[in-house]
Amino acid sequence: MRTLRFRLNGDDAEIAAPDHWTLLEVLRYRAGLTGSKQGCDKGDCGACTLHVDGKSVLSCITLAADVDDREVTTIEGLVGPGGPDVVQDCFDESGCLQCGFCQPGMIMAARQLVTEDPNADRDTIKAALASNLCRCTGYTKIYEAVENACKRTLAGDTGRGGRLADLGGGGDEARAGRESA
Amino acid sequence: MAGGIERKSINRTHGPDAPHGEFHRVGKRARKVDGIGKATGQAVYADDIQLPGMLHAKTLRSPHPHARIVSIDTSKAEALPGVHGVITGADMPTKYGVIPWTPDENALAVDRVRFVGDEVAAVAAVDEDTANAALRLIEVEYEVLHPYLDPKESLERHDPAIHEGNKKGNISKHVELEFGDVAAALASSAHVIEDDYAFHGTAHAPIEPHCAVAQAGHDGVLTLWSSTQIPHYVHRALAKVLDIEAHRIRVIQPHLGGAFGGKSDPFYFEFCACLLAMRTGRPVKFLLTREETFYTHRGRHPMDMHFKTGCDADGKITAVDSKILIDGGSYSSFGLVTTYYAGQLLCGPCHFPTYRFDSTRVFTNKPPCGPKRGHGSVQPRFALEIQLDRLATKVGLDPIEFRRRNFQGSNVETVNGQTVTSNGFVECLDTIETASGWKDKRGKLPRGRGIGMAGSMYISGTNYAVYPNDMPQAGIVVKLDRSGLAMVYTGTSDIGQGSSSVMATIVAEELGLRMDQVRVVAADTDLTPVDLGAYSSRITLMAGNAAVDASRKLRKQVQEAVGEHLDVPAGRVILADGWAFDAQDGDKRIPSREAFELAESKFETLAAAGSYNTPERGGDYRGGTIGASPAYSFTAHAAEVEVDFETGEIHVEKVWIAHDCGRAISPVQVEGQIEGSTYMGVAEVALEDHAVFDDPAHPEAGLHMRPSLLEYTIPTSVDTPELEAHIIESIDPEGPYGAKEAGEGPLHGSLPAVANAIYDATGVWMTKLPFTPGKVLAALRAHESGTPTGEEA
Amino acid sequence: MLRLPAFAYSSPKSLEAVLATLAEQPGRARLIAGGTDLLPNLKHGIEEAGLVVSLKHVPGLDGVEEQSDGSLRLGAMLTLEDLANHDVVRARYPALASAAGQIAGPHHRRMGTLGGNVCLNTRCVYINQTHFWRESLGYCLKKDGSACHVVKRGKRCVAAASNDTAPVLTTLGARLVIASAARGEREIDVGDFYTQDGVFNKDLQPDEMLTHVIVPPPAKGLHSAYGKLRPRDSIDFPRLSVAVAFVLKGGAGTAADPGKVHDLHIVVSALASTPVKLRKVDELAEGRTADETLFEEIAAAAYKQCHPLTSIDGDPAYRRDMVPVYVKRALRDALASGASA
Ligand SMILES: Cc1cc2nc3c(=O)[nH]c(=O)nc-3n(C[C@H](O)[C@H](O)[C@H](O)COP(=O)(O)OP(=O)(O)OC[C@H]3O[C@@H](n4cnc5c(N)ncnc54)[C@H](O)[C@@H]3O)c2cc1C
Ligand code: SF4
Ligand code: FES
Ligand code: FES
Repeated sequence: MRTLRFRLNGDDAEIAAPDHWTLLEVLRYRAGLTGSKQGCDKGDCGACTLHVDGKSVLSCITLAADVDDREVTTIEGLVGPGGPDVVQDCFDESGCLQCGFCQPGMIMAARQLVTEDPNADRDTIKAALASNLCRCTGYTKIYEAVENACKRTLAGDTGRGGRLADLGGGGDEARAGRESA
Repeated sequence: MAGGIERKSINRTHGPDAPHGEFHRVGKRARKVDGIGKATGQAVYADDIQLPGMLHAKTLRSPHPHARIVSIDTSKAEALPGVHGVITGADMPTKYGVIPWTPDENALAVDRVRFVGDEVAAVAAVDEDTANAALRLIEVEYEVLHPYLDPKESLERHDPAIHEGNKKGNISKHVELEFGDVAAALASSAHVIEDDYAFHGTAHAPIEPHCAVAQAGHDGVLTLWSSTQIPHYVHRALAKVLDIEAHRIRVIQPHLGGAFGGKSDPFYFEFCACLLAMRTGRPVKFLLTREETFYTHRGRHPMDMHFKTGCDADGKITAVDSKILIDGGSYSSFGLVTTYYAGQLLCGPCHFPTYRFDSTRVFTNKPPCGPKRGHGSVQPRFALEIQLDRLATKVGLDPIEFRRRNFQGSNVETVNGQTVTSNGFVECLDTIETASGWKDKRGKLPRGRGIGMAGSMYISGTNYAVYPNDMPQAGIVVKLDRSGLAMVYTGTSDIGQGSSSVMATIVAEELGLRMDQVRVVAADTDLTPVDLGAYSSRITLMAGNAAVDASRKLRKQVQEAVGEHLDVPAGRVILADGWAFDAQDGDKRIPSREAFELAESKFETLAAAGSYNTPERGGDYRGGTIGASPAYSFTAHAAEVEVDFETGEIHVEKVWIAHDCGRAISPVQVEGQIEGSTYMGVAEVALEDHAVFDDPAHPEAGLHMRPSLLEYTIPTSVDTPELEAHIIESIDPEGPYGAKEAGEGPLHGSLPAVANAIYDATGVWMTKLPFTPGKVLAALRAHESGTPTGEEA
Repeated sequence: MLRLPAFAYSSPKSLEAVLATLAEQPGRARLIAGGTDLLPNLKHGIEEAGLVVSLKHVPGLDGVEEQSDGSLRLGAMLTLEDLANHDVVRARYPALASAAGQIAGPHHRRMGTLGGNVCLNTRCVYINQTHFWRESLGYCLKKDGSACHVVKRGKRCVAAASNDTAPVLTTLGARLVIASAARGEREIDVGDFYTQDGVFNKDLQPDEMLTHVIVPPPAKGLHSAYGKLRPRDSIDFPRLSVAVAFVLKGGAGTAADPGKVHDLHIVVSALASTPVKLRKVDELAEGRTADETLFEEIAAAAYKQCHPLTSIDGDPAYRRDMVPVYVKRALRDALASGASA
C-alpha cells in the first residue's frame, strides 16, 4: 500500500492503493471516477484512455504508482465550469454517442488531437484514433464530430456551456424562443 | 409460436401523418437524450455501480470441452478468509432457456460440462483477488467425454449425447418447409446455379464486458442491475430459477455498453449474483473479463449452406432450394428461432414463386451460439445474394437490373405466407446505383478493382413474443406534470441504438414539447411497463406505437382544456414547440406548462398508458408465425473493393448503403445504425473469426482460439471502409408515422456485396467465409491456372 | 478485471540506483519502461515480479544524441512515438522510423519505449493467454510446463520474436549498450543479442539493463525499408516482418539505371525466437543492378530460408508465401525511398 500523490482533474489527489493497482483501478474503484471505462484490461481496446500530462495513454496498463506527481485528466475533468468541453459537445451533436462505452476514451484521444493539430485532415484523425475500438458507429460520425471540434476550436469556441447554463432564466417564453431540439 | 392461443388484437396504428400538420420533432436532426451524459462520463453503466459492502464474484469454468462432473469439493474455498459464498449447480437445479420450449441451461453445470469455459461454480468474496484464489481451491473431478467439434459428426453420432435425454440425439432443431413444387420449377428453369457456401462464426464483441450487480433487500425485494437487453425475460427467468415470486424481483438495466444480441439471453452470472446476494446478505458484483465474454458468446452461428437457385431465360427467379447445417454450440439459446430464420427471412425483396429450405441445428462442444445482429438470416442471405449475382451473369443482366426484374412489390404476400406492407427496395437500388457511380464502374474498373451489390430484407420485430401470451408486446406510460415536464416510463432497453431518444421524440412530437421538456425512465421492471426487450429490431415500431397511443390520450385532454381556456374548439388547438395555440390565431397561445395545469385542473392527475400488439400475421402452417413481422425493412448495398493479387488481401474501399426504414424518426440515429451495421458486416468478411481449435487429435481441441480483443480482430478506424448511408422512407402503414426498423437490416448485404465485388475485380466467386488472404490467394491462383476449385465455377 | 498479481514497486531516481536494485534482487526485480508488454504479461501470469522497478524517473534515458563519429545514440526510454517522428531518424533511417510508427497503436507508441521494444518478450498463441486457458491446455515449457504445443516433442520453446524495431536495428548494424552494477557497461551487436530460446531470447542477465541503442552512421547511398504483415493496420503485432538495407552505388537513380547493390542485409521476423538474418543474399546481390530481376532472385532465396510456425496466428503456409512478396516490396520501397540523408 502506498499513498499516491498526483494532480487529478486539477485538484491535488492523495489516494492510498496497493503497488500493483493500475491507474484505471485506482480511478474507478478508489477515486470513484467511473467515467474511464474498461473493455479488455490489457491494452487492446482503448476504452480506458485518459491523459497523463495532456497525452493519451491506456490507464489499464499504467501503474498508478507511475503517475506520481503527474497531471491526470479524465473524461470528467474535461468538463469545466462553463459546461462540457467543445469536443464533448461536438460528439454529442454529431450523434456518434451510441452505446457510449468507447466514447470517454475516444473523446480523450480526440481531445489531444484537437489541441495539437486542429487542422488535422480525416486521415490524421483516423490515425490518431486507431488505438480506440468502437463497436457501434463504424467511426463515421466520430470523424464528423472531431472535424467539427477542430473547426470550432479554430473559431475560438471552447464549448457551448452546459444545458443548465443554457436554460437559465427568462421564463417559458424566453426558453421556448431558444431552439433546443 | 402463437402456440394456438386465441389472440385479441389491440393493434392500433396511427397513420403516417404528423399530429399537427407538420413534424416538429420527428425527422429532425437532434441530439440524443442521453448523449451528453455519455460524453462527459456521467452515464452510469453496470460496472460503475458500487454499493456499500459489495462483494465480488467469479466463476470456475470447465477446462474440458465435454465431461461429466464426478464430484465437486468446495470446502477449501469456503474456508478461505474473505470468502462469503460458494455455490454450484446443485444450488440452482432448475433449467431455463430464453425460448421456453428448449430449457437446457443451468446457471451452473449440474453434472455435465459442455464446452471449455462452461460454468461450474461461483464464489463471492471481499475482492476479486480473493474470489480468484478461492476458485483455485475448488476441487472438481471430471470424467472426460468425447468432444463434438465438427457439426457433421454431431449429425451422425450421439453417443454420448451432448444433452442426455434429447430424443433427437445431438440435433437441436430441424425444420423442413416447401412452398410450391421446387423440383419441378428447377427442372424447367433456363439456368440453375448450385453451390456450397459457408459462414464461419463471429462474436458481438461489444466494448462493455457483461456485468451484473445484485442486492437482496431486507424488505424481501431482490434487485438486479444487469447489462442486459432483455430485462423482462431476465425477470421471468430469475423468478423461475430462484423460485421467487416475480413481484419480489426488480431488474434494472443501467446504461449499456453495446449488445448486438449478445446480451439477450438470461445468463448464469445474473442468477449467481442474485443467489450469492441472497445467501450472503450483501450486494454482489459479477464482472466478466473479456476472455469470459467469448465463452458466454451467443454469437452468429457457423453455417454450411447448399443452395440451388433457378431462373428463366428472362432472369425471373423460378425456385430457391437450400439445405443448411447450423453449428449451435453447446446450448439452445434462441436456436429454435435461428433454425427457422435461416429459411424464413429470405423471401424478399425478390419474389420466389417456389421455395424450399431444410435447416438443421446441431449441438457441438463449443461456446453456445445465439442471435447476433441480423439473427439467423445474415448467413443464408450471403449465399442467396451470390446465387442471384451468378444467375444475373448467366442471363447477361446487370445485377441491379436482375433484382429490379424480380422485385416483389409492396403490399404482397411472400411465398412463405408473410405479409409485406411498404417496400422501398427499388428506391434503394436506384439510390446506390447513382451514388456509387455503378454504371461507370461495374465491369469497367481495372483488374483487381471491382464493385458489387446485394439486397436484403429484415423484420421490424417478431409478431409473437418468445412465450405465448395475450398481453401487449409493448407498453408505455406517459405522465404530465404541472412543471411542464412529460415523463415517459418505458420498458424498452436503450442499448445504444437510441430507443430512449426515439420514445422522447415521439412524445415530444405528440404533446408539442421541446426535447428538454421530456425525460425518459427506461428498462426498470419496477417503474416501467413491460416491453419485451431490444431484439429483432422491434422497439421503434412496437414501443413507438405504444408511445403514440399513450400520448394521444393525453393530447386530447390537453387540447380540450386549452380549447376551453382559449375559447376555441379543441380540434383547433395545436401543441408544438412548447406552446399550445389556436391553429387560426397564433397569438392565442399559452406555454405547455400552463396547458398542462389547465388539463390537470380539468381532468385531475395526467397520466396515460399506451400499448401495442401486433396484427395477425404469418403463414398458416407449423412455424408460419416465425419470421412474421408487422413490417419489413429493405436495404441495398454497393461495395467497391481492391484485391491484392500478390497477398490475397481485400480492401473494402467504400460502401454505399440505401436503407428503407419507413419514416426516419431520427435520421441521425438511422444513419448511425446503417453505418454501424455495415461496419460490422464488412468486419465479418475477412477480419473476424470466432473459432475453437477443432482437431480432436490435439490437446488444444475445444479451446477458444482468440479470446481477446487483440486476437479477435475487430476493425479499428484505419480498417473501416468509407461508409455512405442513404435513408429511404417508404412510410409503412404499421409503424409509428410509418417507421420501420434500421438496426439490423443494413448489416446483411455488406457480406455478399463484397463477395460480388470480388468477382467483378477478379472473376472469382468466393463462397466460403472468412475470406482470409490465404484463401483468397489460393482461389486466385486456382483461377489463373484454370483449376476449378470449390471457390469458383 | 484482469488483475495484476501483487508486487512491490520502486522508482529509483538514478541509473546507479536502478542497477543497484537489480543487483540486489536479480530475477525478482523487473524493469518497467512503458509497461505495455510487461503488464499484460504479468496479468496473464506468464511473467513474474516481486518488485517492479520503474525507469520513469531516471533522467537522461530518453534522448537522441548525435555522436562525434556520426552515429546516433538513442536512449532506452525514448518513446516509440518520438522515435518515429524524429527528424534525423526519419532522414537517415527511414526503415527504423517506419517500423516504430507501425508498432501497435498511437497510444501504445506514446507509452512504449525503444528499450522495451528491443527487450520485448517473445510471443506465441499458446502462451499469451490467461492461467485458465493455459491450464486447460496444459502449461507449456515457456512457463509452468514441460511440453511445447508448436513443435510437439520439441525441447526448445520457439515463441516468436515479435518486436518491430529488432529486425531493422539488425540490418542497420546497431549496437546495444548494456549496464550492470557489477560489470559496468558492455556493448553488443543487436545481431548477436537474440538467442534461440523462446523462453528468454536475449543475452541479458537479470542484473543488467539496456541503456542505449547506438545506430552507426549511414553509409553513403544507404537505402532501407520495413514491411509488416498484420491483419489490421493498427494495434496488431507482426505476423511476418521484413527489414532490408543496402548501399546503392553508381547509377543515375533512374528506373533504367538504378545503380548497383552493395552490402545487402535482410532480416525476417515473427518466424522464430530471433529475428532471422537471411544468409547469402548479400553474396547474391553484391554489385548487381537493383532491378526486378535481382529482387525476384532475392525473394526466391528468402522463401527457401524462412519457415513460419504455428506459434503465430495465421496459416503458416500463407505466411511463408508472403515472405518473397514482402521481401520484394521492401526492396522496392527501399529503392524508391531514396538514400539516407
Ligand atoms: C495491444 C498491443 C499491441 C502491440 N503491438 C505491438 C506491435 O505491433 N509491435 C511491437 O513490437 N510491439 C507491440 N506491442 C508491445 C509493446 O507495446 C511495444 O513492444 C513496446 O515497445 C514495449 O515497450 P515498453 O516500454 O512498453 O515495454 P515494457 O513493457 O515496459 O517492457 C518490456 C520488457 O522489456 C524489459 N525492459 C524494458 N526496458 C528495459 C531496459 N531499458 N533494459 C532492459 N530491459 C528492459 C521489461 O522488463 C519487459 O520485460 C503491443 C502491445 C499491446 C498491448
Ligand atoms: S513455442 Fe511452445 S513452449 Fe514456446 S510458448 Fe509456444 S507452446 Fe509454449
Ligand atoms: S481497457 Fe485499457 S485498453 Fe482496453
Ligand atoms: S459507441 Fe458503442 S462502442 Fe463506440
